[in-house]
Amino acid sequence: MKAIFISYNQALNDRVMEVLDRHYARGFSKWELTHGRGSIDGEPHYGSHAWPSMNSSILTIVDENKASRIMDSLRDLDRQTTQGIRAFVWNVEDQL
Amino acid sequence: MKIYESSVRKPISTILIFLGVIVFGLFSLRNLAVDMYPEMDIPSISVITTYSGANASDIETNITRVLEDNLNTVNNLKKMTSKSSDNISLITLEMEWGSDLDEAANDIRDAVNRVQSLLPDDADMPTIFKFSSSMIPVLMLSATADESYAALNKILDEKLVNVLNRIDGVGAVSLFGEPTREIQVNVDPKKMEAYNLSVEQLGNIIAQENINIPSGTIDIGNNTFNVKSDREFQSSDVLKRILVTQQNGRNVYLSDVAEVKDTLEKATMDERVNGQRGVRIIVQKQSGANTVKIAQAVMAALPGIEKTLPPDIKLDIIMDGSESITDSINSLSETVMYAFLFVILVVLFFLGRWRATFIICLTIPVSLVVSFIYLYMTGGTLNIISLSSLSIAIGMVVDDAIVVLENITTHIEKGSTPKEASIYATNEVWLAVIATTLTVVAVFLPLTMVSGMAGIMFRELGWIVTLVVCVSTLAAITLTPMLTSLMLKAQNSHTYKGLGIVFKPIDRFLDRLDEKYAGMLTWAVRHRTTVLVLSLGLFVGSLFLLRKVPTEFFPASDNGIIAAQVQLEQNIGVDFTAKIARQIDSIIYTKYPEVTVVSASAGAANSDNAFAAMQTTGSYIINYNLRLPRRTERERTIFEISDLLREDFDHIPEIRQYTVTPGGSQGGGASSASNVKLKVFGYDINQTNAVATDLKNKIAALPGTRDVHLSRDDLRPEYNVVFDRERLAYYGLNSTTASTYVRNRINGLTASKYREDGDEYDIIVRYAEPYRTSFEDIENITLYNSAGKAIKLKDVGTVTEEFAPPAIERENRQRVVSVEASLADGVPLGQVVEEINQLLADYTVPDGLALEVGGTVEDQQESFGDLMTLFLLIVMLVYIVMATQFESFKMPFIIMFTLPFAFTGVFLALFLTGTPLSLIALIGAIMLVGIVVKNGIVMVDYTNLLRERGSSINQAVINAGKSRLRPVLMTSLTTILGMLPLALGTGEGSEIWQPMGIAVIGGLTFSTMLTLLVIPVVYSVFGATGLKKERKKLARQYNDD
Repeated sequence: MKAIFISYNQALNDRVMEVLDRHYARGFSKWELTHGRGSIDGEPHYGSHAWPSMNSSILTIVDENKASRIMDSLRDLDRQTTQGIRAFVWNVEDQL
Repeated sequence: MKIYESSVRKPISTILIFLGVIVFGLFSLRNLAVDMYPEMDIPSISVITTYSGANASDIETNITRVLEDNLNTVNNLKKMTSKSSDNISLITLEMEWGSDLDEAANDIRDAVNRVQSLLPDDADMPTIFKFSSSMIPVLMLSATADESYAALNKILDEKLVNVLNRIDGVGAVSLFGEPTREIQVNVDPKKMEAYNLSVEQLGNIIAQENINIPSGTIDIGNNTFNVKSDREFQSSDVLKRILVTQQNGRNVYLSDVAEVKDTLEKATMDERVNGQRGVRIIVQKQSGANTVKIAQAVMAALPGIEKTLPPDIKLDIIMDGSESITDSINSLSETVMYAFLFVILVVLFFLGRWRATFIICLTIPVSLVVSFIYLYMTGGTLNIISLSSLSIAIGMVVDDAIVVLENITTHIEKGSTPKEASIYATNEVWLAVIATTLTVVAVFLPLTMVSGMAGIMFRELGWIVTLVVCVSTLAAITLTPMLTSLMLKAQNSHTYKGLGIVFKPIDRFLDRLDEKYAGMLTWAVRHRTTVLVLSLGLFVGSLFLLRKVPTEFFPASDNGIIAAQVQLEQNIGVDFTAKIARQIDSIIYTKYPEVTVVSASAGAANSDNAFAAMQTTGSYIINYNLRLPRRTERERTIFEISDLLREDFDHIPEIRQYTVTPGGSQGGGASSASNVKLKVFGYDINQTNAVATDLKNKIAALPGTRDVHLSRDDLRPEYNVVFDRERLAYYGLNSTTASTYVRNRINGLTASKYREDGDEYDIIVRYAEPYRTSFEDIENITLYNSAGKAIKLKDVGTVTEEFAPPAIERENRQRVVSVEASLADGVPLGQVVEEINQLLADYTVPDGLALEVGGTVEDQQESFGDLMTLFLLIVMLVYIVMATQFESFKMPFIIMFTLPFAFTGVFLALFLTGTPLSLIALIGAIMLVGIVVKNGIVMVDYTNLLRERGSSINQAVINAGKSRLRPVLMTSLTTILGMLPLALGTGEGSEIWQPMGIAVIGGLTFSTMLTLLVIPVVYSVFGATGLKKERKKLARQYNDD
């Protein structure tokens, strides 16, 4: 089992959800509005006057083979748009 | 879910809701009545009291003053004027605009009731008369006739008046100058004396002979029959055979002592239309009825009526109140359409995409249509105010949609899908969009609170623009994102395919403009002092220009009507007056061929309807109404023609004074020309007359004035029959009987009525005309005492020639005589008022007298004062809106730096086009407060954003300028070009709004150009000082530590 944390411009919400659906990743937790800033040159997303845009974040736990397919799709999505989408994968040790 | 998100996610609901609004709006539009102005009640109530037999000064002391002292307590009273003339006192109470007139009328009734007991016993109960706009004639027709002239009254009454009265909404149809039939018994006093007969005896005999007496009923068998003795005259000839007396056993008939004539009453009025004898027909509407509908209904009925009339009777239209209305409305509708077109072109030019242009321009009809719903719900009409409001709003309604669409496009260019972009891009700007709309609302909403006449005019403007702009904002954050989500394509830049090729040079031009502007800004922020000093100099310079721009109240408009009143010497009879009228007629025919209808009425009408009461008439007065074709169909304006006409009047020696009113005096409100009054207050009539006459000559010498005349007529010569009471008593007579005898012989005694076909005609007995033409004839009048003895008038009294003031006018309980003047063609009011003020500056006023300049200038000062207060209020409100938006005291201040330049632009535009500063131009200038700060907000907001993102001040200023240049230019250009058709003023009646268009265009153009330079500079100045302060503070802290 792998955990994928996806943080993305909220404008991409529909498309990210579509990726999850496409890969039958049923379970997820989502933070509708999160603040964030890219490590290199990513635009800040603060919901403020200067930086009005906001991020959304999703944490989803999927099978290992599904995780790589989801990551591929997210990479595709990232290439299509200049609005940032970042995803990070790590192992899940245990579950209920 | 936020409103913009719901609208994007539920496009069907959104579209249908807006469709519903449009359908409802169009339905309202279909049902809206058309009128010239919004409904306004003229706040004026008159109290009319008659007291027979009293002269002007008696009336003044006994009636007018008593009433005035009490009426003064009425609430909301603005001004009280009165006119006391022979037998009648007329007090006019002018109330504050917007006060409840029913309540005022009640107050007035109470006040009158309180003093009722103080009035002379013989005085009639005072009548309270409320003026309403329905008394202004809707239509003025004329009927001319040759053979049928004698019967014109009866024919018109049956076939025209009755038919027109049946039309829905027609209030009254009255005839003027119609010939009235009467049976005259003109007695020969010498023969009467021979038979020992008096006029009164003859009258009695005629009355007794002309009578029907029902004598009761009798029963014959089972039947009941009425018995009557029917002795009414069957024809007027019967009169001649009436036995009046017997002398020496011989019968004396009426025809032996008098001439019996069945003829027309001696005309007190000579009514001519295009030189032909005729009758003037005036159609008034019922209160609340619609002028245009009534006029159309009457016009539709006329051809049918004309067929039933004898062929020699011709009907003409002198004035059609609906024509100017429909013309104005049509030309204004055209203006709105052109504005719409210009706005579309501007948007297309900047965006270069037809889909985007379509989306933005769709907000225009959607928001404009709401104003029709508002008008329909509040019972308003489609008038020049409401249509101009639309024309003003049209350039502003796209602004919000532009901002929203621009941000959505940016998001799409970054790679979002149109749907995502529509939601999240709107989310970023929707608060800012609402804030800028609030500044516009802060300007227009207070307009609904203006008092006075200006308030009536601008209430509708305020509401409509406020509503339309609010709805446009709503559309911008719902309809616009919804449409962009469906219609915009995810493409980055122009493809320049097909027709799109034209945008290639435009895009290149705009890019170059961006670069140029950025370069200019870089220079400007480095030379801040130079820029600021230069612009300050420009503003101060424009203040000098203001002194060169004259002021006026309302721009005059050319409605194709000229009214003129010509007065000859007093005591001139109607016959001679009519002769002069013919002379003037022929001058008009030869010199002014463009005049289509010349309606001249000389003399006084004996009619007693309300319209007659409002006009000044007299045997020596000619009232002219000239009608001209539409402005576009002739070369000379009514103002030019009026000036030429005045010159012509100057060359006719018989004319004592005249007034020429281009635009007509009955048109109501704004269309009639401005005038100036110089009021001379003072009790002594001779003294005030002397001063007023002196001032009149001085004012007449000023180059800009025309038709200078006094409101008070000269003392009028009259014959006064003074009876000697002792001698009357000696002969067994009293003053009343003696005076009545004199009246019966000169004015005539109405003995009885002659009835024919259901109509009644007076039978009048009086001295034949040759026996009442001289001073001696009056002296030789024979009176009879109760013993039947004949006495000559000269034995019991004397006839003296006297001079009496025909009328005494008062204003606010003080006697007043005013010098009244009209203005020459193109001369602004302010200029003449200034000249008069200069004249008065070194004029020594005798003790006890006071002078005051009045007329249109009173209204002007009042309205200008109101607007100044309004201006301050608006500036404050706008400041508050901006301060809350930026949460800063400094930012709104920076933005407000553009305001002075807007006014510089206004003055410059008015000066260059030679337009005087009128009420309308001033409103335009006030509107600018809301429009120009919008540009500033856009600039400053983005500069702040860049600063927060970490740019240095100068960098932020330059980059913000560069990126906001297009939106600023775009919103400014849509407003400027939206106003352009208004400023060009090509249509009928468009002159009124022209100054507003000119003011807004001038102010906005100028302020936009300067905003683009000055705001960044001022921002960088403030920012720099702010930075310095912060550094000092930090330094202090550091040192303390």
